[in-house]
Amino acid sequence: MKYGVKFCGGCNPRYERGRALKGIKDALSEKVDFEIAKEDSDYDGLLVIAGCSNCCPEIRTYKTKKRPIKMWEEKHIEQVIDEITKEADVT
Amino acid sequence: MALMTGAEYIESLRKLDIKVYMFGKKIENFVDHPMIRPSINCVAMTYDLAHEAEYEDLMTATSSITGKKINRFAHLHQNTGDLIKKVKMQRLLGQKTASCFQRCVGMDAFNSVFSTTFEIDKKYGTHYHKNFIKYLTYIQENDLIVDGAMTDPKGDRSLTPSQQPDPDMFLHIVEKRADGIVVRGAKAHQTGSINSHEHLIMPTIAMTEADKAYAVSFAVPSDTDGLYMIYGRQSCDTRKMEEGADIDLGNKQFGGQEALVVFDDVFVPNDRIFMCEEWDFAGMLVERFAGYHRQSYGGCKVGVGDVLIGAAAVAADYNGADKASHIKDKLIEMTHLNETLYCCGIACSAEGAPTAAGNYQIDLLLANVCKQNVTRFPYEITRLAEDIAGGLMVTMPSEKDFNSDLKVGSMTIGETCNKYFKGNGKASVENRMRILRFIENMCLGSSAVGYRTESMHGAGSPQAQRIMIARQGNIAHKKELAKKIAGIKE
Repeated sequence: MKYGVKFCGGCNPRYERGRALKGIKDALSEKVDFEIAKEDSDYDGLLVIAGCSNCCPEIRTYKTKKRPIKMWEEKHIEQVIDEITKEADVT
Repeated sequence: MALMTGAEYIESLRKLDIKVYMFGKKIENFVDHPMIRPSINCVAMTYDLAHEAEYEDLMTATSSITGKKINRFAHLHQNTGDLIKKVKMQRLLGQKTASCFQRCVGMDAFNSVFSTTFEIDKKYGTHYHKNFIKYLTYIQENDLIVDGAMTDPKGDRSLTPSQQPDPDMFLHIVEKRADGIVVRGAKAHQTGSINSHEHLIMPTIAMTEADKAYAVSFAVPSDTDGLYMIYGRQSCDTRKMEEGADIDLGNKQFGGQEALVVFDDVFVPNDRIFMCEEWDFAGMLVERFAGYHRQSYGGCKVGVGDVLIGAAAVAADYNGADKASHIKDKLIEMTHLNETLYCCGIACSAEGAPTAAGNYQIDLLLANVCKQNVTRFPYEITRLAEDIAGGLMVTMPSEKDFNSDLKVGSMTIGETCNKYFKGNGKASVENRMRILRFIENMCLGSSAVGYRTESMHGAGSPQAQRIMIARQGNIAHKKELAKKIAGIKE
């Protein structure tokens, strides 16, 4: 599976967003390829990593087959890994 | 042209023939001058962050003119979401530089000139809006820095521009030609002017018909004939000239910049003129620019405040005072004040509305309340930072003393300094020096220009906001509310 990653701009993040992505990538390294989302690419899924609950990134221009997965706090990391794992297992 | 990197921006400055003077002399290579370079590094961050995935959502936007990806600093706000992202971007850059990154004045000028020229053309049938769209397209396509220049020297504050004994106290038109105009005067304390590719000039106050020669808006390249700058001094600035200076600078990498920009009979071609004697629109342009810029302070100063709060907390750790309840409470108070500023920046953005030209304007009342708070809260935040840091931030010997091999009695000067300025022992003496010098830099040193006094006077001094708050506050409505509930019938 190929996942696009979209960060918010990080004006006042409540946790380390880059470290969160690294943790998710490490946990799913055998199942999913992650890359910074590009508007001209097609993705199986889009992971939105925001620094706070406002979750403000603009994502309408990205092409993805599945509903975007959004996270905005550190405790979401495990949920994101579980959700993407289930998708990957079904695929 | 694609978005420039910071390195490409710095190289682009070298190609300009900008005339800069400092300490009574012409500076031949301002890009590498130790007193100027930190301010250039600051602007460079506005380019570099636009290329990083973790920040590009704030740092870039889609141009409403060309549909291309551009740096947000060159963007016309298309909705309240854009206004909010502007404030968030400014907070981010304040966090990354702990200084003034200088690019906001251009962005605020773009948005105010865009909407004002639309309304001038509608009344007078002029072509300023078309001129401005062509100009802004050039700026967006080439990812350029523009100094949005408004503040005139103003001379005798009790007199209008046309009443001044010296007519040059306000920038004015001295000649109208078939191909353009010639202007003379100056713009004072111009943020980032030397680091800008272009200057976008606006009038500084509302005017009457007698002042029409002063009602002028235009753009010129920063190295155009007749334009030069005199660099503004900052507290402790010559520390940057000391050989091998590092720790004593507090913030070696970044800094702000202000200058006097002089227009000594500068020619402006017709297609770069955006207002020429339409005196009745000078007030509109000033009010709109001031409104945007007062919103800006709810972002940039918050970012700098974030860094200062962090620095105070680190100093408390190194002093061994981090567990004290009063220290924790002071850090909470600093955070509360800082986030209150942010609340105002976000609120005036969320309550924004479209102009007749289509771009979005902030809520004027809330933007003025935002800036009024900025004239106060950073002073309290710095007071608390100095309280937490302790007096050592201004009594500590120099870096050279800490490294000195000069023997006095049984120890060297360096050994003595390192012995007596040790904190809780968990952090090195050098790190303790670094954080205290950094706090000094923001509270009293060269960055205090940007954080303290600029918070007071930048985007207008406190009384300017109070005038706007009085105009927008609608006391009559509030009196009616009180009378109705109190049962008063008049």
